[in-house]
Amino acid sequence: MKWLKFAWLNTLRNRRRSLVTLSIAALGTAAILLAGGFALYTYQGLEQSSARTTGHLIVGNPEQFTKDEDVPLQHGLDNVAALRQQLLADPAVRHVLPRVEFSGLISNGDKSTVMVAAGIDPDSEFAVKGPFLQMTAGDVLAGKSTAMVMLGEGLARSLKAKPGTSLTLLASTTEGALNAMDVTVKGVFSTGIPDIDKRLVYTDIETAQKLLVTQRVSTLGVFLRNMDDVAPAQARIAAALPKLTVQTWLDQATFYKSVKALYNRIFGALGLIIGVIVVFVVTNAMAMAIIERTREIGTLRAMGTLPGQLLRTLALEGMVLGGGGAIVGGLVALGISVFLLVVPVQMPPPPGRSTGYPLQVAIDPSMYVATLAAMVVLAMLASAWIARKTVHRPIVDALAHV
Amino acid sequence: MNTIALHAARGAVVELRGIHKTYRLGQHVVPALRGVDLAVQPGEMLALTGPSGSGKSTLLNLCGLIDAPDQGEILLRGQPVHQLNETASTLLRRDALGFVFQSFNLVPVMTVTENVDYPLFLAGVPAPERKRRVAEALERVGLGEHAKHRPDALSGGQRQRVAIARALIKRPSLVIADEPTASLDSHTADQVLDLMRECCHADGAAFVIATHDDRLTRRCDRVVRLLDGVIEETQIPQRNIA
Repeated sequence: MKWLKFAWLNTLRNRRRSLVTLSIAALGTAAILLAGGFALYTYQGLEQSSARTTGHLIVGNPEQFTKDEDVPLQHGLDNVAALRQQLLADPAVRHVLPRVEFSGLISNGDKSTVMVAAGIDPDSEFAVKGPFLQMTAGDVLAGKSTAMVMLGEGLARSLKAKPGTSLTLLASTTEGALNAMDVTVKGVFSTGIPDIDKRLVYTDIETAQKLLVTQRVSTLGVFLRNMDDVAPAQARIAAALPKLTVQTWLDQATFYKSVKALYNRIFGALGLIIGVIVVFVVTNAMAMAIIERTREIGTLRAMGTLPGQLLRTLALEGMVLGGGGAIVGGLVALGISVFLLVVPVQMPPPPGRSTGYPLQVAIDPSMYVATLAAMVVLAMLASAWIARKTVHRPIVDALAHV
Repeated sequence: MNTIALHAARGAVVELRGIHKTYRLGQHVVPALRGVDLAVQPGEMLALTGPSGSGKSTLLNLCGLIDAPDQGEILLRGQPVHQLNETASTLLRRDALGFVFQSFNLVPVMTVTENVDYPLFLAGVPAPERKRRVAEALERVGLGEHAKHRPDALSGGQRQRVAIARALIKRPSLVIADEPTASLDSHTADQVLDLMRECCHADGAAFVIATHDDRLTRRCDRVVRLLDGVIEETQIPQRNIA
């Protein structure tokens, strides 16, 4: 305790220098925590979004995930009802949503365009996923609304369609023949990604199966009660259904993985640069302090202070500067994070998207603890490193230092 | 003053035998001490005098175990100490030696109490005992009322008295003092000398003092004059001769 007090008193010798050092350490820590918190919030958001889009687990035939289809639903699942019941028997499973994925043409009579369509179980889909689409006109599909579709905003604009408009869907059946079906627009939505909104069509699963002339579905999306259940549930279901493949949301979340890889590199490099700056600032401050106190260090050595004891007190001095700055920086980051929760700030749409997103910063205790600990350890190591020569300098030389 | 023979080494606090020490200045090797023999007895106040470059600071550093000889032996309380490693010599200094410097060398961020307490803290003395001994030491040097002051709030004489209290607080066998009165006016220097002499006699600590101050040498038990790295003469001030 006496060493810590001595270290604290030493930081007060040159208050302006210590204040500058502490401020830079605080700014660096806050920057790391805010950048890290933003990245973490983005990851969490994308995780939820990815899992909500596909389901925590995706069950399908192995070929569904590895081979291209010659005809629609070539690798689809049969006996969906029985399979669904079997999956729902697992205690971790909350919902099982069938999905029919297909492509084809959509026409208003005058104009035809390519569509990417998904046949869904509307009631379950919207109940499970919540408001994942922004409706710009009309309503979402409901349970008994057969021969109804929801169009992406861009597609609706292209076809001059609005709720109530009649359109025709054209697609290849599972036998390879061309089939057509008249449908009515129930609603228009935006996913926030204009390129997707130009192509995407939602319809109910019966309509999709009728169009494709099949009872199959592409995959089953399994929604779990908890994200933490993914690995054990995957293992259980894979064991129970050995002929099928069970993928996790992460296996299909290519966007999430690429964003995470990019952010990890960007924010990792940023954190590294900030950390190096903080270490250099602390090192510089300690180097000046140690040079100024060379004779005092010689005196303390002459009086019987071991080099290790002096290293310890100088490292503690670095800890006071780096750790103090880290605590202040942590409080600043916490304050800004809470402020953004209370007073939302909307960010402009990122490239390729049509809607902005709220600027939020995740408050992750483990990240705070790790960052603060790293700052403290780095500051201590930097101080000890810079002090090591002086504390081992011959005492006679140190006492003669001017 | 009268020239006398070297004091007998028997029972010496510190004894130097055949000490040689050289320094390298660029390409040149400068001899600082050339075959010095010296013994300091318990309770003795010994002054080292001589012109600049005569080797008195080197001899003082060797007695204080903060430098090592090139050749020769140093015995502290009869034990050879000239070949100790850094840790062992540090611990020996901590336990057996005290230092008083010309410019006091107090730690500016510590109070008077904390400065005096520091050697006891290093030695691992329990806090209650440290508190008692520090209070006694400060009363002894007349600074009881300045216990909570920092060194920059004290006069030069007061600072040197704090330094003396710090040097003596752990009851060392030997106190190394480098020009302890050089930064003080004559009146204050007299007070500091009185204090050193009193402590020397009361505690039985030996003092080795490097000085140019004649008033100080007159009060010492023995004066060793160095010239060009050898002991030119050893004298006992007249008032000390029975």
